[in-house]
Amino acid sequence: MQRETRIANFVLGALAALSLLLLSLPLSTPVRSFKAGAGYLLDPLAYHGEAGYRRLAGAPDRIRRLLEADIENESLQAELRRGQWLATTVSALSLENERLRRELALKAPAGRSPAWAHVMERDPIHWYRSLVVDVGSDRGVELNDPVLGPHEGQLVAVGRVVDVRPNTSTVLLLTDELSAAAAYLSSGTLEGLIQGQDGPRLRMNYLNAEALLSEGDAVYTSPTSATFPPNVLIGRVARVNARDPFLTFQSVEVAPAADASSLQELMILRSRPLAGEESR
Amino acid sequence: MIGFLRAVALFIGAMFLQWWWNTHFAYWGAAPQLLLVLTIFIAARRGPVLGMLAGFGWGLYLDVARAELFGASALTLTLAAYSAGVARRQIDLRAAGSLAATTFLLTWVVFIGHGFLGLIFTKSFEWSGWISILVTPFLNAAVVTVAALLWDARGDSRP
Repeated sequence: MQRETRIANFVLGALAALSLLLLSLPLSTPVRSFKAGAGYLLDPLAYHGEAGYRRLAGAPDRIRRLLEADIENESLQAELRRGQWLATTVSALSLENERLRRELALKAPAGRSPAWAHVMERDPIHWYRSLVVDVGSDRGVELNDPVLGPHEGQLVAVGRVVDVRPNTSTVLLLTDELSAAAAYLSSGTLEGLIQGQDGPRLRMNYLNAEALLSEGDAVYTSPTSATFPPNVLIGRVARVNARDPFLTFQSVEVAPAADASSLQELMILRSRPLAGEESR
Repeated sequence: MIGFLRAVALFIGAMFLQWWWNTHFAYWGAAPQLLLVLTIFIAARRGPVLGMLAGFGWGLYLDVARAELFGASALTLTLAAYSAGVARRQIDLRAAGSLAATTFLLTWVVFIGHGFLGLIFTKSFEWSGWISILVTPFLNAAVVTVAALLWDARGDSRP
């Protein structure tokens, strides 16, 4: 304690003497120089302190504006997403509208009552075999009713109904290996039998062995077909198979006009209209 | 090293705070003399030597702004720190009440000391004004109480 007191007294004496010296000196050059030096050191503190204070004083307002901008940004982004969704919806509806307009202009074969149906489901394992549509016995659909699809402004053969439920039906596609339909080639009215191969192509068998066949010929349903109305386009000859000397007929590969994987609406040709429904 | 840096930061920060408070929060010339309060507080809690050194430095900072009496604030703050250091041997300055009362009294002493130094060196009593004389001691006492409470709340109550 004594030591601390002595040190305190000594420091007091030194600092008091120094203070009194500064006080007793007139504002002469050394004192002014000292003041100027101290001021040079300390003024930036005040200057930058004031600048910092002003910046800090504006911070709450800037933060508020930043938050408002963030909220507005979120809102605008949500609005943009809604706008994009709306544009996509409008575009899809426009395409659907256009497609439905074209389909409405199609005329069903005479003597049949058409019923339009939407494709509901495809078998992912057997893509070329069947699909399910959203009309059934409630709309008068019956077994073996032929099913057509729109293609470039006309109706083309797609398949036939093989299962009817109250609100849905199963359509067996022409490409299924169990499908077969009588058909003829446009070039020479040669009759043959169209059969599915569980693939994208059809096979037309039993063509006259002497006939001259060429690729690109159109294939239509025959008037002798038990299922389809006559003169409905099935597809075009994609390849003429080489003649087999052990067979008495020729065959060709046919590319179906209707791509089963892109069909969205189908026309089922009913044998008679539902009660109260006007036949087209 | 960290203690030294903290001391330097406190020294500079206190000067800035004194200037900032006096610039933006002084009403009718009345504002707490933060540097005086800290000088007394350091002397009461850390001993007179440290208080005198800090008070002398802060006094020079206050004197730089003066046209005359260069060294007056340095002297008065040094004496205030010494007085607080002497007082803490007689009374318990760790208590907020006694520290506030000491600060209250020393503020008046500093005002009067300034006046007399002006009388001695410039032949005119330096009068700070009634508002400063009457209000500032209360403000200083309030500030030192808050400082003591905050200091004790940190858990640092070394004598």
